[in-house]
Amino acid sequence: MVTHHRLPPPGSDPLWFQRAVFYEVLVRSFADSNSDGVGDLRGLIGRLDYLEWLGVDCLWLPPFFASPLRDGGYDVASYTDILPEFGTVEDFSLLLEKAHERGIRVIIDMVMNHTSDQHPWFQASRNDPDGPYGDFYVWADTDDRYPQARIIFVDTEVSNWTFDPVRRQYFWHRFFGHQPDLNFDNPAVHEAMLDALRFWLDLGVDGFRLDAVPYLYERDGTTCENLPETHAFLRSVRRMVDTEYPDRVLLCEANQWPEDVVEYFGDPAEGGDECHMAFHFPVMPRIFMAVRRESRYPISEILERTPTIPSGCQWGIFLRNHDELTLEMVTDEERDYMWAEYAFDPRMKANIGIRRRLAPLLENDRNQIELFTALLLSLPGSPVLYYGDEIGMGDNIWLGDRDGVRTPMQWTPDRNAGFSQADPGRLTLPVVMDAVYGYTVTNVEAQSRLTSSLLHWTRRMLQVRRENPAFGLGAFVDVGGSNPSVLSFVRHFGDDVVLCVNNLSRFPQPVELDLRRWEGWRPTEMTGGVPFPRIGELPYLLTVGNHGFYWFQLEPAEETS
Amino acid sequence: MTTLAGMEHLLADWLPSQRWFAGKDWPVSAVRVLAHTPIGSEHRVEHLVVAVDQHAPAGPTTTVYQVPVEVRPDRRDRIEHVHLGRVEAGFVYDALHDREVTGRLLERLDAGDDLGGLTFHRVEGAQVPVGVESLVLGGEQSNTSLAFGDRALLKVFRRLVPGTNPDIEVHAALARTDCPHVAPLLGWFDGTWADPGDGHPVHGSLGMLQTFLVTATDGWRLALTSVADLFAERDLHAEEVGGDFAGEAYRLGRATATVHAAMREVLPTAVWDTAQVRSTAERMHVRLDDAVHEVPAASSLAPALHAAFDELAALPGGVPVQRVHGDLHLGQVLRTSVNWKLIDFEGEPERPVDERVMLDTPVRDVAGMLRSIDYAALHTLLSEHPDDAQLAYRAGEWAQRNRGAFLDGYASVAGSAPGSHEVLLRAYETDKAVYELVYEARNRPAWTVIPLTALERLAS
Repeated sequence: MVTHHRLPPPGSDPLWFQRAVFYEVLVRSFADSNSDGVGDLRGLIGRLDYLEWLGVDCLWLPPFFASPLRDGGYDVASYTDILPEFGTVEDFSLLLEKAHERGIRVIIDMVMNHTSDQHPWFQASRNDPDGPYGDFYVWADTDDRYPQARIIFVDTEVSNWTFDPVRRQYFWHRFFGHQPDLNFDNPAVHEAMLDALRFWLDLGVDGFRLDAVPYLYERDGTTCENLPETHAFLRSVRRMVDTEYPDRVLLCEANQWPEDVVEYFGDPAEGGDECHMAFHFPVMPRIFMAVRRESRYPISEILERTPTIPSGCQWGIFLRNHDELTLEMVTDEERDYMWAEYAFDPRMKANIGIRRRLAPLLENDRNQIELFTALLLSLPGSPVLYYGDEIGMGDNIWLGDRDGVRTPMQWTPDRNAGFSQADPGRLTLPVVMDAVYGYTVTNVEAQSRLTSSLLHWTRRMLQVRRENPAFGLGAFVDVGGSNPSVLSFVRHFGDDVVLCVNNLSRFPQPVELDLRRWEGWRPTEMTGGVPFPRIGELPYLLTVGNHGFYWFQLEPAEETS
Repeated sequence: MTTLAGMEHLLADWLPSQRWFAGKDWPVSAVRVLAHTPIGSEHRVEHLVVAVDQHAPAGPTTTVYQVPVEVRPDRRDRIEHVHLGRVEAGFVYDALHDREVTGRLLERLDAGDDLGGLTFHRVEGAQVPVGVESLVLGGEQSNTSLAFGDRALLKVFRRLVPGTNPDIEVHAALARTDCPHVAPLLGWFDGTWADPGDGHPVHGSLGMLQTFLVTATDGWRLALTSVADLFAERDLHAEEVGGDFAGEAYRLGRATATVHAAMREVLPTAVWDTAQVRSTAERMHVRLDDAVHEVPAASSLAPALHAAFDELAALPGGVPVQRVHGDLHLGQVLRTSVNWKLIDFEGEPERPVDERVMLDTPVRDVAGMLRSIDYAALHTLLSEHPDDAQLAYRAGEWAQRNRGAFLDGYASVAGSAPGSHEVLLRAYETDKAVYELVYEARNRPAWTVIPLTALERLAS
């Protein structure tokens, strides 16, 4: 067992999330326990041994609440019920219990900004304007208020207002017209939302990914984003969590530039009094750009521009997730670096903007997959892995927009990839069957048996990461170097000092590093334990294979005469 | 100087073996100490300014050098590689390699000390990293540079000329702006020595301290990386390969225009009248004539090239001029994690200082960078694939794309592309290529094809 390296058990370490490796798992697509073709909570429970073996610290479950599923479950029809095809609240409790037994935490998605129009609150609100829910949503007689608020889904929505023929008023929605925004000016909405959070916290969840937080409030003359009132509400959520449920985490999804996102951590003097974590969105496209350009500057520039965050906080970073961003969402200012680069490079735009999994994006190049993963595991922030990427799963672009990267997890070369015993035609989404990424070739069972597999490699890297607190907690120092294609940085926390050298080029490269700060120290390569020559006064010379990388532990040499 | 007796002989032996020493093959007839100032340290440290008299092929010549030396009672392993030899007072070392001595220099810069013949200045508000250890960096041609950790870079001028070094002058002026595209100046030092000819005291710059750009690599290297990537994909165009440089070239154009604007803000500007424009064109004509005389291969192009200078001479005047970088090329720009930085505002080091600080049109720098982009495109081609027509075509596309991106970036800040001053740009670029032609013909005959190709394009 590897448990001795795991994070402290739930309940004993409020800052666990700063060192955790997250794993995003879609319940629908992971494992089907009752042969109905749809993944479910009991199926996931049955795969916890695998996740423990892999070495992830925390699962992130996208929405599994009752929902008409017109927006992948982000259209919630009840905050305290589970979609029946996924199981029951009892099943979820069991998942928490079994995960916690293995030292694995679980966070879930929570959509606070809006509900489905099928939610009983909205039905009550439209049918009985004077009733207890009459003021739960943002109603108006006209559709011309808040004109500065942009329309997020410009391709499907023409306005942020939609006329409701039942109440004969317009309701406000920042996303789809079937997702009315809740009215956070109504204190009863606050109470209802806090109660919904408590429901899951009482069951034992370890935190929430808070979806679409910048949009909670509307104010005249503003863009209706990032308003002070929104921050005040988040502080009240945080206060509730801190007093009633210490060591649970709030992960904010604010799809903005880091210097704006940092506001969602709250007051630095308090160590942060809003969200514990926030996604650092630009890191992902920058990694892709850096490797394409064979230049370290796309990455080192964004890290240089990333503001300091409060001591009790952490970034979340990712390479892929279930709902890939379009570039327009991360970059809206003309000073933005990516915009300029993409304007010159339409191919790049096409590649990153659409929803693809990691392996097909990198043409299944093992060196590149390893390099990208090593960067994800070593750059500042807690990495979020996406289910299936650990075995290099492919996607199915014929399934359209989002579903292409949500195909069933490939466990075995057997029928339905071992995901389900149902008739193949009943599967929630077809398994990937192509010649390169198909389940007969790419699956957990085969890769478990081959120690040279991507799966075993990923597991080893997670072990190394877990043994070095510098990755999660350490400061980041860009050490530059003579070669623009090689990104080299040091992470250090206390006496744990790690040097990471990444060749972003498809050709082997030499690099000379100025490591005088560690003069006399000895680097040891971390995956193999091989000692390298001691660091002297002169530039430290390394050669790195194409798309290769090194992780070195730096240790002060014992005193010699 | 009694305890330094014998120093001149040591220096006469040691100096010619130094990288920054000019005319290494010319016999040294004498080394004369022009100034000596004790810097003060644990051991005896003398800041020396010396004249070196040599017999050059063209006749006797004298060059002035800055040589801080340390005289120790014992030998020291760590700096044994810069041991000059022994004088009566002890063992002599190049003091710039001794961390104790350089640390002392830094303290004096921080304090703004005045040692008589040697004066230290700190830029107001600058943070001098006193206490950080130094390392001599390799690769310098005419200076010795010391990195103090990853905080500061001290450039010690080895060959001295009277007057304020333009690099210090420009950086000190730009320190009054918020221009983000230069390395901030932290301090400098200057001194007085005896003129090697008439013995009268002269004053000049000795060294400068700047923020160290720790994450930097130079633009030349970045550009060559892009070209290497292009050449690995024979069938793809420059805009299709991953290693595209256009984004960087665009940002570099913006940085250049931003620096030009800042220089206009704090340094002299003027407007050339018709006569001044004509005399500039006249000098270009002369240089072209000289070049054609030396490289007859260019003679067929000469009429068209002269025409470009004639067009310049025909301009109605009203050409705005200012202080410029003077020698801008990809090796003079550094990409850091934050942005591009322009370095070394010394102008062409071979020219006299008063010429280097003359006002000129910023088009001069733009033309220099365009020529450098051309060189980057062809450098790898000539050295590794000299007969590959396909790659030559690709290289041409690369140069065109990145020249365009640089000009676009420049125009996005300056308002109008310098390319819109087509006459100016064509004349300056031609003049630069003419200079390159002579240089290559003398030093690397196989490379004359680079300026020749450019001149063919400019002539058409």
